[in-house]
Amino acid sequence: MSHGPSAAGGAALKSSSHGHAVAPYKQVFVGETRDRLEELIKRYPTRQAVLLPALWMVQDANGWVSEEGMVETADVLGLTPAYVKGVVTFYTMYHQHPVGRYFIQVCTTTPCNVCGAEDVVNAFLKQTGCEELGVTSPDGKFTVIEVECLGACGFATPVMVNSEFLENVTPDRVPDIVGRLKRS
Amino acid sequence: MADTPLVNLTIEGRQTSVPAGTTILEAAKTVGVLIPHYCYHPGLPIAGVCRMCLVDVEKAPKLAPACATYVAEGQVVTVHNAKARDARTGVLEMLLINHPLDCPICDQSGECELQDYTYAEGRADSRYREPKRFNPVEDFGGDVLYVPNRCILCTRCVRFMEDVAKEPTLNVSERGDRAYIGCFEGKDLTHPWSGNVVDLCPVGALLSKDFLNKARAWELDRTASVCPGCTQGCNTIVETRDNVVMRLKPRSNEDVNGYFMCDYGRTTYRALNRRDRIETPLVADNGGMESIGWELAIESAGNVLRGRKVFILASPSLSNEALHLLKRISAISDGGRGAFRVERGDEAPLAGVEDLALRAERAPNVRGAELMGFRESDSPLTELTRDAVLIVADHPLRANDITHAARAAAVIVIGTTLPEGLRNVAVALPIANMAEEEGTFTNLRGRVQRFLQAKVAPGESRPSWSVLADLLGALGESAQHYTASSVFAALAASHADFSGLTYDRLGLRGLPVLTAQQAAGAGGVA
Amino acid sequence: MGYPFKPHPRETLVLSKYFGEREAISLDGWQKRGGYVALKNALGMDPVAITNVVKESGLRGRGGAGFPTGLKWSFMKLGDGKPHYLCCNADESEPGTFKDREIMRWTPHALIEGCAIASYAIGAETCYIYIRGEFTEPLLRMEAAVTEAYAAGIIGPNAMGSGKTVNVWVHKGAGAYICGEETAMMNSIEGKRGNPRIKPPFPAVSGVFGMPTTINNVETLAAVPHILNNGAEWYKKMARPDNPKSTGTKLWSVCGNVARPGNYEVEMGFPFKDFLYDLCGGPPTGRKFKAVIPGGSSVPFMNMEEAEAAFMDYEGMVAQGTMLGSAGCIVFDDTQSIPKQVARLARFYAHESCAQCTQCREGTAWTTKIVERIVAGNGTSEDLDTLLDIAEQMTGKTICVLSDSCAAPVVSALQRFRGEFEALIKRKVQPAVPVVA
Repeated sequence: MSHGPSAAGGAALKSSSHGHAVAPYKQVFVGETRDRLEELIKRYPTRQAVLLPALWMVQDANGWVSEEGMVETADVLGLTPAYVKGVVTFYTMYHQHPVGRYFIQVCTTTPCNVCGAEDVVNAFLKQTGCEELGVTSPDGKFTVIEVECLGACGFATPVMVNSEFLENVTPDRVPDIVGRLKRS
Repeated sequence: MADTPLVNLTIEGRQTSVPAGTTILEAAKTVGVLIPHYCYHPGLPIAGVCRMCLVDVEKAPKLAPACATYVAEGQVVTVHNAKARDARTGVLEMLLINHPLDCPICDQSGECELQDYTYAEGRADSRYREPKRFNPVEDFGGDVLYVPNRCILCTRCVRFMEDVAKEPTLNVSERGDRAYIGCFEGKDLTHPWSGNVVDLCPVGALLSKDFLNKARAWELDRTASVCPGCTQGCNTIVETRDNVVMRLKPRSNEDVNGYFMCDYGRTTYRALNRRDRIETPLVADNGGMESIGWELAIESAGNVLRGRKVFILASPSLSNEALHLLKRISAISDGGRGAFRVERGDEAPLAGVEDLALRAERAPNVRGAELMGFRESDSPLTELTRDAVLIVADHPLRANDITHAARAAAVIVIGTTLPEGLRNVAVALPIANMAEEEGTFTNLRGRVQRFLQAKVAPGESRPSWSVLADLLGALGESAQHYTASSVFAALAASHADFSGLTYDRLGLRGLPVLTAQQAAGAGGVA
Repeated sequence: MGYPFKPHPRETLVLSKYFGEREAISLDGWQKRGGYVALKNALGMDPVAITNVVKESGLRGRGGAGFPTGLKWSFMKLGDGKPHYLCCNADESEPGTFKDREIMRWTPHALIEGCAIASYAIGAETCYIYIRGEFTEPLLRMEAAVTEAYAAGIIGPNAMGSGKTVNVWVHKGAGAYICGEETAMMNSIEGKRGNPRIKPPFPAVSGVFGMPTTINNVETLAAVPHILNNGAEWYKKMARPDNPKSTGTKLWSVCGNVARPGNYEVEMGFPFKDFLYDLCGGPPTGRKFKAVIPGGSSVPFMNMEEAEAAFMDYEGMVAQGTMLGSAGCIVFDDTQSIPKQVARLARFYAHESCAQCTQCREGTAWTTKIVERIVAGNGTSEDLDTLLDIAEQMTGKTICVLSDSCAAPVVSALQRFRGEFEALIKRKVQPAVPVVA
């Protein structure tokens, strides 16, 4: 939702599939994954406590957390889909729609901001061909967003590519980084 | 509970003693101090998020949220000093920065807590110069519309669905000023008690689709009543405008319905407005029905009934008073009998409140009918004999009832409508419905509760007890009744279960009938 | 100084001694460096005795609040028959702070050892290490180290052969700064939205899953084995002579416009001027320092006069009108626009607000919009008054202090750098709009 100008977060991530072809939903909590989940549950006194780890499993399997993913997770843990959705929308690392093959997050909070983080963002936008923040590139390969403090302020500017954590990224390093991603 | 220690504190200069574990906000109520609040509700778990109830507690470094702070011995609490007022003004200003200026088109206007508190303590102007946040209206399913722009995120609705209805179908989605109340598509608000979120919403964010744009809050007259939907007997408020019932809302009663009523009960208001009423007494004439005056009508009815066997089909939606008088009619007739049918539906409990449900029996006075000696039967007219006069007392008739009724020697209708297809109706006497007269119902737990008159009955209809009292008079009974309370007093005098009850004692909360044991002990006979 | 640089001679290396040494990461490497001796000893001690040592040492919470750790542990009622929990706060998201990640990726076993000792001292058999989801490497290292520790019987049902149970589990977050607030973290572990809870009840009475819980920061827990090994007196000695309230060492995460950004470990009470100009190498070439936020973005700005007079401990920072906080030290040089950075910080808080409290939910966003408008050249002088009013409403009135944290940079910047705001309002300088489209 949220169509109006909002204080935070650059371009609001729009709730469509962004021109991505959405594959039919594949069950996540079966076989080995289900066993792993049940093992995790043993660490806590409630099933609900593994909701965040379970959602990570869904995102790791499917690249994002779809509504079907929320329903499946809710069923497995004995929660309602609405409850799960409330949790998914709270935590910014869960994608609520498909994203590019390489999800690039550039920290622009103040410590990195004063070290030129915005130039790094622009460099990524240019190199990846993404027209704006949060909108996947036409070839489906890249989505670039600004992110809040990644906790690596002394190694400005940190950038995450999916779960890969890059440190000390400067604008002149960006062409190589993106080039490597394009080739893989 | 008796052994909970009391705590003494001072609120706004007034001393009070409350049980330990009471919050400051509740304690303030005992000395007549209303601490402004939004998210707190006595029927919901404490949230403490709106920050409207911040009060100044002596010696505390920060303002304390009164809804979430427990009383302590010797506390001195101030609600209306500059510090606390300033905080409230701040909250109000913050709530209004994204709030649309919708009052002219918002249903909540006139009963809106944001309006009320802003009028009292808010700013006269807005300092907000930025574009307001906008989200489109959403249909939450059931009867509920959600207008996100007006939402103050008090989360009462979320907490109701989660902790009272025990079905978390509403959530808070997103974070920060992007947050809104969400549900999951395809799994929306069809819970049988979900309409309560509309009542709970302090502003016009959650609205009833049924009531949308129908009336203004200040146009409505409000009358205390009881829901006629089922045997639970939820206490209600009947809201009328120009003699039309616009809606029903729950009235709190700890012993019956907490703070809530079900969606089905809310829809019963429509029946109270039906227009296909008998508005004058009618008498059979040349194959049709002819309007006549009351005196003649009562006389005619009396003539039909006198000395005859009577069979009374008494609706379980009639008041105790009416049923009592009907029973008298049955008693003075030789071989008089009475029965009723009650429609049933699915039971729908409100899981988070003890002993509260939409009951399977969809009539408000089944227990009253039973106590008066009427029998429940799915086919109540099977035992109607050819020599009996059938009194249809506002009881709905099915096709096979009509067939059985044809057997009767004569039919007298005492009701709000004239049932279609019913032949050999000798006399029809129009009565008020439960919104148009006062009376009492007895709920499934034996609680006797008063309902008051909320609107005027159409045409020449009269209260049910008044018509029946006149009819009894025509049949030779000496007691004359000019008020419903007089009928109730007669009922209490003659029926051990009701002994000792009076309208005054019943008040607006009701009282339970005596148990059989108590009745036996009181020396009465059921 | 920490990885990737060589330590400065004036540092006191306790927690950061092995930053950059790959060998220290493994169980074997840690044990070679004296690891798990403290745990072995602790498991043979009376839990109360351990808490007393920590109390005596003067160790205070290193996550930002500075609450005396031993005292916090003593709130846990031992032997009450309820399951107790320890939560390790590894959610490090305070802008400017990046010390916990280093502890976890270079000395993961140091953290496990600290967690195990603390768990035992507070009567907990289970410890959850809540690591923010973005910390890829610390997550990997901690998981691997936990696996090693279980395999070697260091933790588990018979920790180090003591017969006592100590379970340590890694719990991954999913992107929420507010989950670094202790009660929000507990809700997050329970599988809920990370909303802070109202206190009382306090975690030691009713915490995670409604059970008695203690929450400690990574750096705090990592200090515990050292305190047990070297004694409380050793730790207490590392303090200013005239301030015994702040003891031990502190990891300072220095970032922003400074010659040598990174983690530095110094004794409590170190003179800030020396620190900035000597250890950190001063400002970048050709520039001058303008402002410092010493303790993570939630503490007030200092101008250089205040900074150069400050001592680096809890009371020393308070004396200069700010706080030590997490010691995430953000330095600004004279090329930076303070209003622009205040706008960016406000935007951070607005993004992270959980949305419970009215003042925070609306106030953080409103503040951001006003300051961004000022930065874009469309501000008025009334805006400055409004900003201060909003900041006052956001202070001391909410469930947690995120809104206070948003107000702090706004108020302190207006107090010290008001001229920069006024210059933008009067269009005397070019608006410093964000470069990003």
